[in-house]
Amino acid sequence: MAGPASQPLVVIDRMVKRYGAETVLDGISLSVSAGQVMVVIGPSGSGKSTLLRCLARLEPIQQGRILIEGVAVSTGTEESSPAPDAAALARLRHEIGMVFQSFNLFPHLTVLENVTLAPRRVRGMAPVEAEALAIELLRRVGLEDKRDVHPARLSGGQQQRAAIARALAMEPRIMLFDEVTSALDPELVGEVLKTMRGLAEQGMTMLVVTHEMGFARDVADDVVFMDRGAIVERAPPDRIFSAPAEARTRAFLERLLEREGGSRRAR
Amino acid sequence: MGDLRFGQVIGYLPDLLDGVVVTLCLSGVSVSLGLVLGLALALARYSGLPVLNWPAYAFIEFFRTTPPLVQIVWLYYGLPALVGHDLDAFWSAAVALGLNIAAFFAEIFRAGIAGIDRTQWQAARVLGLGLGDTLRFVILPQALRAVLPPTGTTVIYLVKGTALATAIGTPELLRVGQLIALETFRPVETLTIVAIAYFVLTYPIALAFQALERRMAASRI
Repeated sequence: MAGPASQPLVVIDRMVKRYGAETVLDGISLSVSAGQVMVVIGPSGSGKSTLLRCLARLEPIQQGRILIEGVAVSTGTEESSPAPDAAALARLRHEIGMVFQSFNLFPHLTVLENVTLAPRRVRGMAPVEAEALAIELLRRVGLEDKRDVHPARLSGGQQQRAAIARALAMEPRIMLFDEVTSALDPELVGEVLKTMRGLAEQGMTMLVVTHEMGFARDVADDVVFMDRGAIVERAPPDRIFSAPAEARTRAFLERLLEREGGSRRAR
Repeated sequence: MGDLRFGQVIGYLPDLLDGVVVTLCLSGVSVSLGLVLGLALALARYSGLPVLNWPAYAFIEFFRTTPPLVQIVWLYYGLPALVGHDLDAFWSAAVALGLNIAAFFAEIFRAGIAGIDRTQWQAARVLGLGLGDTLRFVILPQALRAVLPPTGTTVIYLVKGTALATAIGTPELLRVGQLIALETFRPVETLTIVAIAYFVLTYPIALAFQALERRMAASRI
């Protein structure tokens, strides 16, 4: 068995998620190592967004466990389990940052206030300290000149980059990206993907749900193909795109490339 | 008698001013009580937790559906009979009106909070913000925009509603007016002046709420 040094950062263990009678995630197991970029692809309704939402603890799970650094941060509601250590749990929950398709910035706050709110209130940083951190992050996402602007004044791409800066301000060890470019005009997609590439290069552990196959090909260490609430296939991008092992993966990729062929290349 | 004579009534202006002060105090106390309790009730309703939701629901519906005049009388005459401890006419009216208006504020605030997109809660949650911080920094500031106009209307309604305290003899504006009318036999003139006094009290409130709305709209750009 692997020792603690090589223990995966995130382990999802036979996770089952149901809405009423409908099973959305049917026994998902997945592990992500520190520094790994994992891209999750699949048809709509395959459960990929739900997977991220469960990881971010926005949804309770019915069965299975989610572990971060070996500590269970979520346990199935249908299972009895010992209550985890509250302090460790609180710390580990901050290890996960999430960026949404619809940005979800706080519209009544400036960009700077959006980024400093959680560091100040959750991490207890002094306002000056939080501001310095925020300015550094806004510089990284290329928004240093927008710090005092409200989100409504920003383009979609700028809003999404501000949302990334906001999530990074909690200094998470894992970043979840839930179709973060799907709501953007095509010409704004590139700037957000560039920011994400930068993050990946700096060694951030990332779980990315996306339809941007070019990003998956270039940045992902592994690509996971999901369908109907289950993981069908997990492989490095060059293998999954050139020689998928599963027929369902192949069919999905063919449909996708066919559709994209007319408008833009897959890259 | 086809003529109107205001001259006689003018002499009673100092008394009317005393009534204005009582009306203002009644309004101030009941609006303050109503805002605080209304927010608590709204949050209790919004929480969806049965132990909070049901008592809040019962409270709101009880105070919304029974006449405020009766609520004032209950508190003034009924409370001593029940608990052997009484409130004076001012506090009976202030508390009864406060409880009544809380029910209306609660429904306004609940709608305001419910109007904030669920994704705002989720964004706060993934940042690790607790419930209190999420409400204070994310949800309530946004809800405030939506609830401002109906809240203003309700406050104005309440200021005029304090006239119901006349029923238990609280010496507020309308009560003072009624006494003057009895003395001068000039009810129309007296009540006209009383109405003008209510207008002078409430119109600035309307203006203040409009100014607040404009300021909030401007600050968001």
